[in-house]
Amino acid sequence: MHALLGENGAGKSTLMNVLLGLVRPDGGALQVAGESIDWRRWSPAEAARRGVGMVHQHSSLVPAMNAVENLCFGGVEGPWLFSPEAERVRVAALAERFGLGVPLDRPVDDLSPGERQRAEILRALARGARLLVLDEPTSVLTPGESEHLFASLRRMRDEGRAVIFISHKLDEVEAIADRVTVLRRGVSVATRDARGTDARELGRLMLGADLPPLERSAARRFGPVRLGIRGLSAPGSSEAGRLRAIELAVRGGEVVGVAGIDGNGQRELEEVLAGVRAPSSGRIEVDGRSVSPDVRSLRAAGLAHLSGDRERAGLVPGFTLAENLVLKGSYDDSRFFPRGVLDLAAARAAARRVAERYAIRPPDPDLDIRSLSGGNAQKLAVARELEGEPAALVAVNPTRGLDVGSARFVHSQLLAVAAAGSAVLLVSTELEEVLSLADRVVALVRGGIVPVPEGSDAAAIGAILLGRSAA
Amino acid sequence: MSERLLRVTLSAAGRAGLAALIGVGVVACVLAVLGYEPGPALAALVSGSMGSGAAWTATALKATPLLFTGLAVTIAFRCGVWNIGAEGQLLFGALCATAVATRIAPGAPGLALVPGLALAAAAGGALLGAIAGVLKARRGVSEVISTILLNFVAIQLVALAVQGPLQESAGAYPKSDPFPPAAMLPAWGRVHLGLGVALASAFAAYALVFRSAFGFRVRAVGLSARAARFAGISPERTALAALALSGALAGLAGGVEVSGVTGQLFQGLSPGTGYTAIAVALLARLHPIAVIPAAFFFGALEAGAGAMQRAAGVPAVATQIVQAVVILVSVGLAFGRRAAPELDPELVGEGPS
Repeated sequence: MHALLGENGAGKSTLMNVLLGLVRPDGGALQVAGESIDWRRWSPAEAARRGVGMVHQHSSLVPAMNAVENLCFGGVEGPWLFSPEAERVRVAALAERFGLGVPLDRPVDDLSPGERQRAEILRALARGARLLVLDEPTSVLTPGESEHLFASLRRMRDEGRAVIFISHKLDEVEAIADRVTVLRRGVSVATRDARGTDARELGRLMLGADLPPLERSAARRFGPVRLGIRGLSAPGSSEAGRLRAIELAVRGGEVVGVAGIDGNGQRELEEVLAGVRAPSSGRIEVDGRSVSPDVRSLRAAGLAHLSGDRERAGLVPGFTLAENLVLKGSYDDSRFFPRGVLDLAAARAAARRVAERYAIRPPDPDLDIRSLSGGNAQKLAVARELEGEPAALVAVNPTRGLDVGSARFVHSQLLAVAAAGSAVLLVSTELEEVLSLADRVVALVRGGIVPVPEGSDAAAIGAILLGRSAA
Repeated sequence: MSERLLRVTLSAAGRAGLAALIGVGVVACVLAVLGYEPGPALAALVSGSMGSGAAWTATALKATPLLFTGLAVTIAFRCGVWNIGAEGQLLFGALCATAVATRIAPGAPGLALVPGLALAAAAGGALLGAIAGVLKARRGVSEVISTILLNFVAIQLVALAVQGPLQESAGAYPKSDPFPPAAMLPAWGRVHLGLGVALASAFAAYALVFRSAFGFRVRAVGLSARAARFAGISPERTALAALALSGALAGLAGGVEVSGVTGQLFQGLSPGTGYTAIAVALLARLHPIAVIPAAFFFGALEAGAGAMQRAAGVPAVATQIVQAVVILVSVGLAFGRRAAPELDPELVGEGPS
């Protein structure tokens, strides 16, 4: 049982995608079960034939089909015809053998995330996986379910199968891994025997010891409340994501961190505060005034929004740097859209200025934003959102997918905008991020705000996040 | 920027030329298989589209409605809206123009009548486009389905009109009265004002798409509707406006056709112009200026196909096969070489930046 440990963006997923034949490497060699692999013939189908199975973070099952149907279909060397009854027996036996109980007759869509994940593991096993790769499997699980998963994985190991377990959680790795490899910024920095190491050493390897601490002024005073969220409720894309009477107040100069496990309402909260999801009740107040919950009103009131979902919520892929910089002004920004005409020269000049100030590489205003790295693209979004000193900033997973250096840049900008007097609401599924930046932490659990006692450490907050979601 | 424009235009012309070359090879084979001498047939195709002043005139006349509809499709596609209904919008525009010219104001002076019928044509096309747009915005009906279905509606409306309210006074044939002279577009020989308007429309469309706030929103929605929504742009309203504008341009094609070329409305007015327009737009890679050479290319093909039919005795059906072959080749070229297949980001996960 081998754990692959690293921060977001360290290259864990990329490495595994190479192993699975989804990404072709530039060079290097791969051996599977002692045999060297020819990259030209390496594909997902070939990987599956050689016994490499993957359990993705996001379900890749067909939602409308039940577990048995999902397992028989798309088999690597499946027969032309199959008997659903026989398949059902086979799947049930497999589930029994590894303790992976899954309701077999309900559409996968109706299953819980944990059950879906078990179905996915079963599918890999049914296809004859000798090497099972799990990408951050516990991120969708309750603590009980995680224990259960670990037990199943141990059974697989004891049968002689290999398991690669991708994670960025140190305690999990300590709990189940036999060996650990740490990745940092695309380089494997160390491989250790799990018994001979500890969380502290792994943490140091993972983060790199040489990072300077974030600068923040010691004595900060908070101003009046600049962002108020009053009794905000909204429909959710899942039951757990439905927002339930959220109450939050963020003062000027303050960073309030909202910790939580993905799927507990982060997306819904982001969308409501960005103005694209209509709340069912409650108010959003900026500088004490109630604001209509639509994009343009919120923005006009001074509420900025920085999203980690850059490709879909922050930037328009296919637009240039200059166009993305002026993206939010197409209705009312007379600097770039005087009388409904796009002033491309002004947009380009502004993009050049921003590129220089924030060291965006390459600093070409006419370049498609997609040709920039995630870190550089996010710098442009930061520049756009922080321009003109917003009253409040909502940052949701603002460093998702960024390398360490870019993430630190974003963090320092969040602290800087708070120091300049804005209210910052940081919603993040990265507990470390919340703890290192926030002046005050609350938890978002099943769409509701749960207070976190002052001075709580990561373990205590983790218990709060998990305690409720297990219920 | 003008250098860039020139490049875009030339590359569209280049692709058209390449499509023609590949097409000629395939066409020669098709003709041979059908039992015709490829040599004389191809010679007729070329000389009938570019061989003389008259041939160029024929090409320009065929290119005019393709320009309007090609621009119509371009603007909609830029917004991520698949307007397959340019054909129906063209026909309905022609119907509205005919109603103005032969029923509502046949006695009006030309200076009022021509703009009036053009306006009616554009409004008719826009209405059809807007219907699809409203269905999409309000009910989530795919515009692909609704615009195709509206094509059938428009075809039947024309059939109904020329046998009913708009039928010629003689009542003999299912066609409208001929337009009064004042309703005809000013013309020089057979080339009419519509060509100039179409060319000007290409430049206007360019300015609209790339230099206006509206065009900016259209492109933003086309590239990422979700990201556009987060930027305060309503994808629904923008798509509705783009569809209406697209319909207006296609409707104008119909109005120009009846008041510039045929002088009356009848069934089968359009030889599938609204569908060929999709190939025009794709060959131009959705660039309004590049639509000009693309439209002329397909105009030449249509003119040449007619000549091939007359001069080399190739039946109409065979010439349609020839056109279809060239369209397929050029659309294949329009997309260029496919890069490595895009991986599903959900599946691949967050890579390092």
